[in-house]
Amino acid sequence: LVFFSLGPGAGQDVGRSCILVSIAGKNVMLDCGMHMGYNDDRRFPDFSYITQNGRLTDFLDCVIISHFHLDHCGALPYFSEMVGYDGPIYMTHPTKAICPILLEDYRKITVDKKGETNFFTSQMIKDCMKKVVAVHLHQTVQVDEELEIKAYYAGHVLGAAMFQIKVGCESVVYTGDYNMTPDRHLGAAWIDKCRPDLLISESTYATTIRDSKRCRERDFLKKVHETVERGGKVLIPVFALGRAQELCILLETFWERMNLKAPIYFSTGLTEKANHYYKLFITWTNQKIRKTFVQRNMFEFKHIKAFDRAFADNPGPMVVFATPGMLHAGQSLQIFRKWAGNEKNMVIMPGYCVQGTVGHKILSGQRKLEMEGRQILEVKMQVEYMSFSAHADAKGIMQLIRQAEPQNVLLVHGEAKKMEFLKQKIEQEFHVNCYMPANGETTTIFTNPSIPVDISLGLLKRETAIGLLPDVKKPKLMHGTLIMKDNSFRLVSPEQALKELGLAEHQLRFTCRVHIQDPRKEHETVLRVYNHLKAVLRDYSVQHLPDGSITVESILIQATAHSEDQGTKVLLVSWTYQDEELGSYLTSLLKKGLPQSTS
Amino acid sequence: MTRECGLLLPRVCAALADPRQPGSDDTCLEKLLDWFGDLSEAEPTLKLVQDNPCLTELITSVLALPEPSPSILSFTLRLAGILAASENCFQHLQQEKLLVRLFGEDGPLNSALWEDASVRSGWVEGVRSMMRHQPALHFLCSGGGIDVIFTLQGDPSLFVASAASRLLVHMLAFSLESEMTKPLSVKDCDWPVCAQMIIKRIEDSLQSSSVSRIKQSLKLLTNLFGSCHAPWTEVLWLGVAKQVESFLMEESVQAQPMLADLLLNMARSPVFCDTEGSFWALVTSALEHLTPVQAGPLAVGILRLHKCPQDVRIQALTVLLQPMDCILRAASQPLEYAGLLDESVTDPATVESLLSSKSSCASLLCQTLGHLEELLSLIHLPVDLPCTSLLRSLMTILQFCNGLLIPASPLGSKISQILIGCFRLQRSALDVLAVLSERKGCETPVESLFDILLTYLESPNTSPTVLKKSFQATSKWLVCLPEMSCFYSQWQTKKILQDIFVVLQKRLCSPSWEVRDSSLEFLTMLIKGLRDQDEFRQTLLSSEVPRLTEDLLEDPESYVRASAVTAAGHLTFITCFAPQSPVIENQYNKENTVAKLQEILSTDPEGFPRRAVISIFTKWLRQGYTGLLQDTEQFVSRVIQIAESDLDWEVRLGGLELVEVFCVQTLCRLGRPKCPYAPFSSAFTSSVRQNESLQIFCRAKLFGFLFCSLCDCDRPVGQRACDILLALRSSFYPSNTLKDFQETGDSSAGHGIAWLQRTLRQGSLAQSFPTGSGNEVDFQDPESMLLALGTIDLEELHDDLNKSSDHVEKSPQSLLQDILATVGTVEENEADCY
Repeated sequence: LVFFSLGPGAGQDVGRSCILVSIAGKNVMLDCGMHMGYNDDRRFPDFSYITQNGRLTDFLDCVIISHFHLDHCGALPYFSEMVGYDGPIYMTHPTKAICPILLEDYRKITVDKKGETNFFTSQMIKDCMKKVVAVHLHQTVQVDEELEIKAYYAGHVLGAAMFQIKVGCESVVYTGDYNMTPDRHLGAAWIDKCRPDLLISESTYATTIRDSKRCRERDFLKKVHETVERGGKVLIPVFALGRAQELCILLETFWERMNLKAPIYFSTGLTEKANHYYKLFITWTNQKIRKTFVQRNMFEFKHIKAFDRAFADNPGPMVVFATPGMLHAGQSLQIFRKWAGNEKNMVIMPGYCVQGTVGHKILSGQRKLEMEGRQILEVKMQVEYMSFSAHADAKGIMQLIRQAEPQNVLLVHGEAKKMEFLKQKIEQEFHVNCYMPANGETTTIFTNPSIPVDISLGLLKRETAIGLLPDVKKPKLMHGTLIMKDNSFRLVSPEQALKELGLAEHQLRFTCRVHIQDPRKEHETVLRVYNHLKAVLRDYSVQHLPDGSITVESILIQATAHSEDQGTKVLLVSWTYQDEELGSYLTSLLKKGLPQSTS
Repeated sequence: MTRECGLLLPRVCAALADPRQPGSDDTCLEKLLDWFGDLSEAEPTLKLVQDNPCLTELITSVLALPEPSPSILSFTLRLAGILAASENCFQHLQQEKLLVRLFGEDGPLNSALWEDASVRSGWVEGVRSMMRHQPALHFLCSGGGIDVIFTLQGDPSLFVASAASRLLVHMLAFSLESEMTKPLSVKDCDWPVCAQMIIKRIEDSLQSSSVSRIKQSLKLLTNLFGSCHAPWTEVLWLGVAKQVESFLMEESVQAQPMLADLLLNMARSPVFCDTEGSFWALVTSALEHLTPVQAGPLAVGILRLHKCPQDVRIQALTVLLQPMDCILRAASQPLEYAGLLDESVTDPATVESLLSSKSSCASLLCQTLGHLEELLSLIHLPVDLPCTSLLRSLMTILQFCNGLLIPASPLGSKISQILIGCFRLQRSALDVLAVLSERKGCETPVESLFDILLTYLESPNTSPTVLKKSFQATSKWLVCLPEMSCFYSQWQTKKILQDIFVVLQKRLCSPSWEVRDSSLEFLTMLIKGLRDQDEFRQTLLSSEVPRLTEDLLEDPESYVRASAVTAAGHLTFITCFAPQSPVIENQYNKENTVAKLQEILSTDPEGFPRRAVISIFTKWLRQGYTGLLQDTEQFVSRVIQIAESDLDWEVRLGGLELVEVFCVQTLCRLGRPKCPYAPFSSAFTSSVRQNESLQIFCRAKLFGFLFCSLCDCDRPVGQRACDILLALRSSFYPSNTLKDFQETGDSSAGHGIAWLQRTLRQGSLAQSFPTGSGNEVDFQDPESMLLALGTIDLEELHDDLNKSSDHVEKSPQSLLQDILATVGTVEENEADCY
């Protein structure tokens, strides 16, 4: 089992996920993420490391995408339409539906940033999505005759899944990003006690025990409410789908409860689409949403309306969700510029911002921003950061390991220092090996596969005829010939093997010389040996043949005098391989010498 | 370096070296190094270091840290390498003893930090950057650095290992190219010391018993011959050739795939391809002795070469064609048609055994097909392929894959058992089939080919991706059909088309959106390629396909709606716009189609269908068909009014494209010179014609759309609008008069670029437009618009819009500010996902 991560740089940096796992001769790529911090080739993984010779389509058996975040799927159209991978791609149904929206969203930013060279087009996104095979939770998908995969619920975002990859009796579980506590619209991750050889787990919050999400939500609502009450405007830059919907539910319920009148807008005209997907994939949301769905669909918003560009200039309070999420460019940035100068307003960043974006600047506390044409924009509005991202914390990771009971654990997607602490904890508590390889580093894990073998009926009958009935508790030895052909193993009787393979039988005899100090004549020595064996091997037929040799079953013993030393007799012992055990026993017996008393 | 950056840099360096500060984001450090790299290209590095002592201070203080963070240490190593790339700066850093402490034995090399892959990576990259002059080379060679790099070739991190291998190649080439004065001979012992050290180690490794060391050296040689084509490479090769050759037969080393790479890189090098004898004999021997899977990449590489002995080429071709030949022979015994290879030259035993094994059959065929596709896609193929036999072989594979062919021969029946239902192979075979259409011969078995394609199109077992590829192959061959009609009667063509439309009808109703979409794309492809063919038009119109396409305009899946729009748009070329339209009844009402598409443009909740509509409208306009529909002016006006307020930037962009085409056509129609974008040469007079076009544009409400687009929040839209306005201006203003106009006019009085930017930023162009007397601007008033065109400094605006939207944020100054701003902030934000 071989693991290899194509993350950015040679360290353990977070940024994008792209992992290669080789399991029992099958090569599977797990996630195909993009690094949003770069505008050049560094944003995509360098796929030339996967295979030096040969085409990717021939080398990889399949690609699996865990969820729709761009650091997990952003390089997929590049990989399939530009690098030329043409094999199967698997993801869950919601991921397949939502992926293209996020990819389109990001493509727009790229065009804006003049980074469109070597970047995929809309047509490529569609062509890529058409190659995707969507899977259901807990459905065993047969990629080919040997390789099968199975998706488990991962929480985190709509459609996120953990994947079990299985070849024969070897298996790997890849968690992607997951969350072990349910949130407002999603449930908690869950997996079978599948005892994989390896569990690859993300460890973003490796040492953090996160405060309750409720607190953060309360805080968020309080801040929005205060701003609106004092007549200010709230800007929430978001990516089209994902966290935006969670925050919409929060605000919608709050508005309803508090009977607030200030308008809430969603900028991209995507509310309907989002609703559509959440309705379509209602089974992926948590129990509460599913239960109340019949009376009231959580994703049908009464208070949230589509935004028109002209609304930004309207007086009075309002809340606007606008894309893109990091204030890179586009609508969110335009609204930000308009509202930044007023201290009554507020911008809430609900996610991480990469360097090189206005979002990153204001989050790091910069208040005087240089804009185009050397103008300075003074940011007087309040700036808040609120993380709503749902990852498993240290407790959650331990909980998942307890559920799945893996043989080995491998941590990815986290900081080295924090991972080290967790690694020790895991090794102590579960007594399993825990690895945390750097990007670009290969980890090899040896498994102890138990290989199923078919046994021919004839052989089985023969064994049972001897009186040994099969018993689960008492494993027993069985002799036969193992035929390995076309990836299958069969144990048959030697005769049948000979017949099947059209081979002639060769007899193999083992021989061995044993030296005995005995000055007597040869035939007397033979007699002494005969008597000795007769006494020791009572259950066997020991015979003294007329030609002076002794046989014990198939074993033949002859004695000659040593050519140089007449006082030493040489016993020539030979036996067939069937009597290997008895033969070795007999030689060891003779090596000990003959008892004096028998003389 | 700008003054501002010079002021910020000392604080940034201090912050980076401060262990109490949280580590900087890795992307920041990476971008900082990019910047230093640019700086060192632009100005003398020594001056940079002398002007900014903080740089050496940073290195010193990182070295003084008892336990620097790996990322900062790695950064420092790389920075030092960039700075030491110039010789005098290298000397300067040497004098300060910094390089020894960084790259020498007392440096990180022997510390616990070396365990961290990023430190090792930084070390290699640092060395790579400085390796541009002899002192650096000697510094490394004398300090034992070569051994370190050789060891790093086997690093657990692939990134480090491959960087180390590339570094050695660079050092060897650099040493020989910079230090040799006379050409080398094999026996010469006066190779440069550094080169000698490297070559000695390569030779030692090749002779060692360590498989990994042998492989590393083979990889190094592969990289070397791939990147360096100097004559000395041949001398080097002669020294190792015997040893390398022995690995061809050596089972225990298992270096065969690497040998194939090595030989291919050598074959591409002019040093070796001109040699006679031994090298090519080795290639031939490799082609013979490597397994078909190992030899495949070498064979296809050889066949791409334009300079190569004929017998080697034939050997390579044999490797590639053997599996295809075996397929043909397995399918029909005795051979019904000519095989691919002459029986006398082939020894098919190995290939036959691979094909009859379940584990290797499909992968061998997939690989072979991949190589064939690569070859067939070349425009100038240096070798003749037996295309007809290849086609038959492909058809056989496709029949095996869907269980249509179960031959009697033992090999044939075995292969058919293995391949049945193999999607992977189906995809590869269909890809090759599609490219093969461009190389059709006269004896092409067209009828059976389409029979096979039809079974794929019809079969419910065909997966969506395979179906898509079947459609692609079918459309390619169908489009070729008229050219082949000398062998083919019209009647047969019609029969094929009829069969295909029956399948298409079914597929358009598929429950899978991927299938519906591929079917529509297929239809569009067919119309594009065959719309002038009578049989095609008749068969299409007598089928249910047009009606079904119209139904799909309301498909629940937006991608499908978009493809339906495109297909329906193309259908109009046959139904409405064809000069001798075969439509009799009023079944295909032009107005209906237009109305339907306009409705989609204004109401569809998703972007893709709306984008498709606008692009179809532009296509119509460009081909001059809108005039057949209605008044073009009204049509354009109506469309842009819808597009203007669209939330999708690409729809707005599409709207601008429509406007551009309309402008060009209008100006042409009104007798402008051939190129409407050529500036006026005559004096600036408001001629009737000019007024007429201006009036048309005003009436069509183009200017409102164009000026509003200038301040669009999405930059590409603004850019396009600016381009169009610039072109229009040059149409209405001769270049010299414009200059006068801008100088004498009141534009300088507060209406320069700054004003415009302010106005644009506020998004309230309408309120402060210079020509308006009241609050509102009349975008339909020709005089105001002419004035506006002359007043606004479009050139400067154009330059501004042409910059990347993040040009401010990605400037070095902004980067330095960002690094400083993160100093002292809490780390929490970092551990998050997008």
